[in-house]
Amino acid sequence: MNLKISALEFIEEVKTGNISVEDFISATIDQIKNIDEKLHAFLHVNPESVEQAKKIDKKIKLGEKVGSCFGMPISIKDNICIKNSKTTCASKMLENFTAPYDATVISKLKEQDAIFVGKVNLDEFAMGLTTEFSAFGPSRNPWNTDYVPGGSSGGSAVSVSAFECVASLGSDTGGSVRNPASFCSTVGYKPTYGLISRYGLISYANSIEQIGPITRTVKDTAFLLNIISGLDPNDNTTIDSGNADFLTDIDSGIEGKKIGVIQEMIGDGIDPAVLSATNDAVSKLEGLGAICEPVSIDMVKYSVASYYTITATEAGSNLARFDNLRYGYDLPLEGYEFNSYISKARTKFGPEVIRRMILGGFVPSAGHAGKYFLKSLKVKSKLTKEVNDAFTKFDYLVAPTVPVLPFKIGEKIDDPIALFLVDINTVIANLTGIPSISVPFSISNGLPIGIQLLAKQNDDKKLLQAARALETTVQLPEVPI
Amino acid sequence: MTKIGLEIHCQLTKLESKLFCPCKANYRDNEPNSNICPICMGLPGTLPRLNQKAIEKATLIAMALNCSTPEKIAFFRKNYFYPDLPKNFQITQLNIYGDTSIGGIGEITIGEKKIRITRIQLEEDPGRLIYEGSSSKNQITLVDYNRAGTPLVEIVTEPDFENPKQVRDFLKVLSDLLENLDVSDPSLEGAMRADANVSILGGNKVEIKNINSFHDLEKAVHFEITRQESLHSRNIPIVQETRHWDDQRKITISSRSKEGDLDYRYFLEGDIPWIKIGIDVQEKLKSTMPESIVSKKERYVKNYGIPEQVAEVLSSDKYYSDLFDESHNQTNAKEISNIITTDLMGLADTREKREQSKLNSSHLSDLADAILSGKLTRNSAKNALYEIIKSGKELSTIISELDLGNVSDKNKLEEIIKQVMLEEPQAVEESKSNPQTINFLVGKVMQKTRGKADPQLTLELLKKNLD
Amino acid sequence: MNKLVTEEEIELVAKFMKIDVHDHKEYVEKVHSMIDFFNILDSAGVEDEEIIIADLPLSKLREDMHIPYEDNLIEKLKNFKGNYVRAPKMI
Repeated sequence: MNLKISALEFIEEVKTGNISVEDFISATIDQIKNIDEKLHAFLHVNPESVEQAKKIDKKIKLGEKVGSCFGMPISIKDNICIKNSKTTCASKMLENFTAPYDATVISKLKEQDAIFVGKVNLDEFAMGLTTEFSAFGPSRNPWNTDYVPGGSSGGSAVSVSAFECVASLGSDTGGSVRNPASFCSTVGYKPTYGLISRYGLISYANSIEQIGPITRTVKDTAFLLNIISGLDPNDNTTIDSGNADFLTDIDSGIEGKKIGVIQEMIGDGIDPAVLSATNDAVSKLEGLGAICEPVSIDMVKYSVASYYTITATEAGSNLARFDNLRYGYDLPLEGYEFNSYISKARTKFGPEVIRRMILGGFVPSAGHAGKYFLKSLKVKSKLTKEVNDAFTKFDYLVAPTVPVLPFKIGEKIDDPIALFLVDINTVIANLTGIPSISVPFSISNGLPIGIQLLAKQNDDKKLLQAARALETTVQLPEVPI
Repeated sequence: MTKIGLEIHCQLTKLESKLFCPCKANYRDNEPNSNICPICMGLPGTLPRLNQKAIEKATLIAMALNCSTPEKIAFFRKNYFYPDLPKNFQITQLNIYGDTSIGGIGEITIGEKKIRITRIQLEEDPGRLIYEGSSSKNQITLVDYNRAGTPLVEIVTEPDFENPKQVRDFLKVLSDLLENLDVSDPSLEGAMRADANVSILGGNKVEIKNINSFHDLEKAVHFEITRQESLHSRNIPIVQETRHWDDQRKITISSRSKEGDLDYRYFLEGDIPWIKIGIDVQEKLKSTMPESIVSKKERYVKNYGIPEQVAEVLSSDKYYSDLFDESHNQTNAKEISNIITTDLMGLADTREKREQSKLNSSHLSDLADAILSGKLTRNSAKNALYEIIKSGKELSTIISELDLGNVSDKNKLEEIIKQVMLEEPQAVEESKSNPQTINFLVGKVMQKTRGKADPQLTLELLKKNLD
Repeated sequence: MNKLVTEEEIELVAKFMKIDVHDHKEYVEKVHSMIDFFNILDSAGVEDEEIIIADLPLSKLREDMHIPYEDNLIEKLKNFKGNYVRAPKMI
């Protein structure tokens, strides 16, 4: 069984009867069994996948109506709720939490007969960009298992890249979909804020994060967006983007389009290999008929500080509900009063989460809000203006997804500022709400480099056209697993 | 000078659903934790689903209290840990990025007294704690989340009250107003709660929390003023602090937790965009706003010649004024106002009685018309009203079933009068020297007719017969 | 150096965020460097900037309707006694 096919190819193979869903799912489960011990993408494998596959095969055989996913195996980041299954956020705090409801994206995929092969690893509560902060151990990069796969949706990117599923859903708060996509050589998409419902995504920094697909191809991402996007009464922040079908006209190309190359993202601190890949990408885009020009966005240098201030504040509040009273792990109440009980219970949070909680208690506090939190919101507003300004001149912006190559596990774990700076190219899409995509572009010394394209709010469909165009110029080696 | 400010919490009990989820807004009379869902339990991954009507109702309150109403409103998180708060933050409103609370500065005049409103905000009510067992070995707190997420409007006043009576007058006007707006039923237990701040001349401000009814609010304020004055007279300084109202012992007690230590880290609730109410919607709401109590009263006095005091009583209670407005016409208005304020108010004085009452507006107009045409005496009308409330039957049916019709047949009355005169020769004799005695004889006739004799006619005929 | 973040301050904030942190020193250095990094915000020159937030018309919000939740949710939670959720005593 060839697992190295895209989502759309899978659907075609099933539709034409070339493969059965059961065979493909069984082979996928075997693949997970064989290699996941090494990669640790999965926290939980769905034991009913093969049974579910059989049911879909039966429907196909009987000529009954089958959903558009045709039993496609998808992995789900373990901060998205699936009814009656565990959702841990890779935290000891939620080790025993079973979600009593489906996230909106999950309901939509279920309706289209997707099969969730399992829940995948992340940095605890999505706080991190290497997946090293998972309470259940780090995931490893399939391109070189000594290296981090990126994060926080590391499990999602690893599982797609290592053929343990056809596609995955991650969440992107400051690059958490695009960063691991870049490090693992997959496509990673952060939609316009509000395009996809967050209902059922366990919040980290709710004002800026979005669920996003991680796939092998740009078309697969467009296909998934068709299913999972749209207004949701359960999420007041969802928007009607006016994008009808993301797949139609995806091959329209970018001839005559204007693309701004963000200067602040190719300067200090960039790895030479990443810089040369970016220059290469710019000439390829020009080769496709686009006009590329440098553009400067001043606020970029303040964006990381603004981003971490806002996320710590929101995280401090979003994670307050984990007091172990209504759900959580076993810790008897007797002998404690309320405050001492929850303070004790909350020691199950890992050290990175605790650090961010302390930050989150500090930066918005009465004495410091003006200096940190309020200023961060103002940087966010000014950045949004600057970016909107840039889009009056340009159709797209381009930059490397991450300024550095994947690094070794443990290399930066003790240096928070070094880790902060890895996020510098991705956070602006979150702070401004615009869509952004990472496209696999090249391999340097066996390690992947992704190129990031950005478009203005609600231009998701147009962004996918550019990403598709760039994708067609690239031929990449196969992942060495 | 004594200064009192209030923070009044009023549940929007007339809504169907909670502020952020479709669970019932009226959580009362439910098994504990049966009116909950993943949203109001704050389960991970859930998001608030704001109730449109809650914003409309809260805006009506703001308009009725003459507050400014912003075009856009915002919600904030108030962060603190408490077992009755499923998310460990409360979604509420504040004015830190401009005026984004549902109601801004306003003012209401009660008699001669002006009370300034600082702000009106819309927020979610927490759940309820139940303490288990005796307090000594009280190990566990039990929590019922049925109330969590109930829409709550907080009305904050400036410290404009000078004494408990002004507080009481304000609360009376406010609860009538809330009822008249059809946003809340103030008689429901726990629907109206309050915090107060009290300071006397030269003293620090003291906050009193946890006052669970309007009735107790006046008492709490009174207690606190007395306490502070007593300290002051003994030259003991009044410390700035938060005190709790103990509704068993009816006293205020110093709280151990220091409010000053709390930092709520207010910031914008990102799960709810700013809500654009817009001038169009505001205009529409204004046009659907029920007539105010003041305007009702003026109308009753001016159009129907109802006495001021009767009009005041009638207009301030929505149940009665609705009945009045549905039943009256130009001729019977005054009579209906009499029936309502002298008889009905005694028969339907509680919510339960009102709910069970089978009386409708056409009953009232029938009753008034019967009195005006002389078919029923006021006395019989009262008996009929009692029956109508119980059975809901038509007035005509009740009149014939209970034989309530007036005895206005001259011959029949004359016969009864003659009989009475025979039975009471002493009174007849006395009436010649003392005209007051005639009332005694009228009473006897009434007795014989079980109150159905037309009093005017009886008097006339008696006089004629005595001469 | 930013003198705001002392070990005591970390201890206080941790207590406030309801997390028992035994070894405060472990957190001081990292949190300190993070907060120090945030001081760059002072030079952003955004004091006069207005905060922009997305808005939604009132008409797009949920209609006021009671829809009972399909499950008996309390049974899916932990720590309950009878129909109540148990919490530690309050002082």
